[in-house]
Amino acid sequence: MLLKRLRHTAVAAAVSLSLAITAGCTTTSGGTADDANLPQDLVVAAQFPIENLDPHGAAALDNGTQVAAKAIFSALVRTTGPGKFEGVLAESWKANENATQWTFTLREGVKFSDGTPVTSADVVASFQRVVTLKGAMASNFSTHQAAAPDARTVTITAKNPDPALLGKLGTFYVTPAAQDKSGWDKPVGSGPFLVEQFTPGQSLKLTANPGYFGGKPTLERLDIRSIGEMAARLTALKTGEVDLTWTVPDDQLPGLRSSPDLVVENVNSNSVLTMWMNSSSKGLTNPAVRRAMWQAVDFATIIKSLYPETGKVADSVVGPAVLGYAAQTPVKYDPAAAKAALDAAGWDYNQTVRFQFSQPQFQQFTDAVASDLAKIGVKVTPLQKESAVFLQDLLALNWDLNIQQLGTSGFDAATNLGRLYTCAAKRMGYCNPTLDGLLSQAGSTSDTAKRQSLYAQANKIIWDDAVGMYPMFVQTPYIRNKSVQGFTLPVDATPDFSTVRIGSAGK
Amino acid sequence: MTTQTVVPQRVWTIRPRSTPALATIAAAALIGYLLVGLFGPLLIDYDPVATSVADRLLPPGAVTKDGAVALLGTDGAGRDMLGQLVYGARTSIIVGVSVVATCLVIGLGFGTLAGYLSGWTDVAISRLIDILMAFPGILLAVVIAGLFDRGILVVVLSLSVAGWVAFARLARGLTFSLRERPWVDAARLVGVPTPLMIVRHIIPFVIGPITALATTEFAGAVLTEAGLSFLGLGLPPSAVSWGQAIANGRDYLDTAWWISAIPGLALTGLVVSTGLLGDHLTQRLGARR
Repeated sequence: MLLKRLRHTAVAAAVSLSLAITAGCTTTSGGTADDANLPQDLVVAAQFPIENLDPHGAAALDNGTQVAAKAIFSALVRTTGPGKFEGVLAESWKANENATQWTFTLREGVKFSDGTPVTSADVVASFQRVVTLKGAMASNFSTHQAAAPDARTVTITAKNPDPALLGKLGTFYVTPAAQDKSGWDKPVGSGPFLVEQFTPGQSLKLTANPGYFGGKPTLERLDIRSIGEMAARLTALKTGEVDLTWTVPDDQLPGLRSSPDLVVENVNSNSVLTMWMNSSSKGLTNPAVRRAMWQAVDFATIIKSLYPETGKVADSVVGPAVLGYAAQTPVKYDPAAAKAALDAAGWDYNQTVRFQFSQPQFQQFTDAVASDLAKIGVKVTPLQKESAVFLQDLLALNWDLNIQQLGTSGFDAATNLGRLYTCAAKRMGYCNPTLDGLLSQAGSTSDTAKRQSLYAQANKIIWDDAVGMYPMFVQTPYIRNKSVQGFTLPVDATPDFSTVRIGSAGK
Repeated sequence: MTTQTVVPQRVWTIRPRSTPALATIAAAALIGYLLVGLFGPLLIDYDPVATSVADRLLPPGAVTKDGAVALLGTDGAGRDMLGQLVYGARTSIIVGVSVVATCLVIGLGFGTLAGYLSGWTDVAISRLIDILMAFPGILLAVVIAGLFDRGILVVVLSLSVAGWVAFARLARGLTFSLRERPWVDAARLVGVPTPLMIVRHIIPFVIGPITALATTEFAGAVLTEAGLSFLGLGLPPSAVSWGQAIANGRDYLDTAWWISAIPGLALTGLVVSTGLLGDHLTQRLGARR
């Protein structure tokens, strides 16, 4: 009886399947390639989940939040390359002679999606919100004051000269002054898209903003999803459920390249795989111990095996295109020397090093690092944490070893070294007054050559003191369906969807 | 009343007819798994922490860079699959046996007490059983495993919390009919105390069907442990588990099938042969009293 029913179901399934295939064939072969009739819907599987839409708070510099912010809000300026900037809300800007005061003139006629005009008061309120919330970006603006002399002018004044201000402002988005505490699940912005629905950590559904000052985007709908499972993400990409994604393991790239519907493009990011060691953690306070840990891991082999295409052994704390880059002496793999150094420093081999990471893409990397450290007797437990927990623990220094892919916004070391490595930032338990001096000097000098040399010195201290391990410069692969057109590869890991349109595949 | 037969509880609705030949094959397979689990780790050296990224994703039979042959290939971090299979067998057997032993002791205790004492004891125990039966076992296991740090004890606990119920129900039902039997009446008249009565005159007649049930419960426990480990809730990464190995291979299903397929097949083999043997035992022991 059951068997008979089963057979019926199977027959029905086969019939409907063959019907579906026939239908599919008809549309592909007979469909006319009229771009105007194609639905302008883009589905994106982002690399990181979007947990929060507030571009000023603790999650402000999370890649997920930044990607969303670029679609929903407008910044004053944006980075287009090393040292190159383009006005967004700001029409023009100028700095005074010693770069302590910057004056921005706002574009005229820009409106928020609720119809209210974007005024300098909104910019000032947003700026103050960043400072008072003490979020991820706040330490960029520790001595800064914003003021609005008139409705279209904003001045930002710093106690010390701040030549890197434009770079820092690339991640600063303007929200209405009225929006402070509530409404962050459906915020009002002046960007190319409007929020339709937001489910934290899962999906962000956007629609085109008809009143966008740059012209209504061609895309009608934009759906940014988080598909944590790599296999599921790639299947979605291959079946056409998702049109665009980025950061895929190197293992998967050949398979994706062979697919006729997909385009794979690698872009140099300025990101560095950064593995901070908690200098305030037991045993790791000693720079000799941290250097030994670094020396004990065979990064060259790990990178060659895991990232043959998109990884390159790093020789600096910041990427090569960043102002402040300076090549450092490579750390050579030498487990015997590492072991000897640990013995000399009195490392407690019973201690377990808590190695935290959040993204599944780091799983094999962390396993390989743990394995190399185990070879010299150091016990390491890789701990994969859910991204909100990871961030919370990261800030609370509840870890010994941490892995992150760290970019430098604005291609200026001020937003990386200057923001993260000061004693006040307390990001990895490291505090060095000499470094603090260098960083504050570099952050307040307007002479570019001098800044470069100061950051290079800071770079050397961080590298030689092994504040972290800096194993790899990262390239980001972007994989899109051929129907996705007008997409420019982003230099700052946050794609701009306002120029994208859906065309017929293969054109 | 005395001629009433107890129909053993059916675990699967559809079952292949169990023949002695099939049962023998299943038993032989199970003994094979047991031998591999017991002695394999003594013969094969495997460290779950040690990776060898230069040897990653090697197909079965390939030669690693230090000259050894990876009989079953390597995974995404260059760990030997044969080692994972053998150590995973041990883990599965340890977890399965511990869970079944815990469930059996608790279930047998509660079940015979409820059946023999009846009255309020029975009402209390039966309602507890009903409550646990109403709750999906896997959900309970996921919740408990998620609450604590990963470890083998937590896995055994989370699987046992709902697992003893089946034993208790079976033991209770059997005891209900047994307590009316003449030898039990006779013993009661002589004045044998209750604990001794249960141990000497009830349990020996209950243990047969319970053993048959234990085999099927074993298969369930092994499968659920693999499920929890697959979800990242079960055993810690330092323990080798088939569930974890299958999870590790998810991204490579189309390029390196052996990572997920080999432990998956091993798990299927273990569960199917345990089930077949359990069926056979149910037919044999379930009727005997």
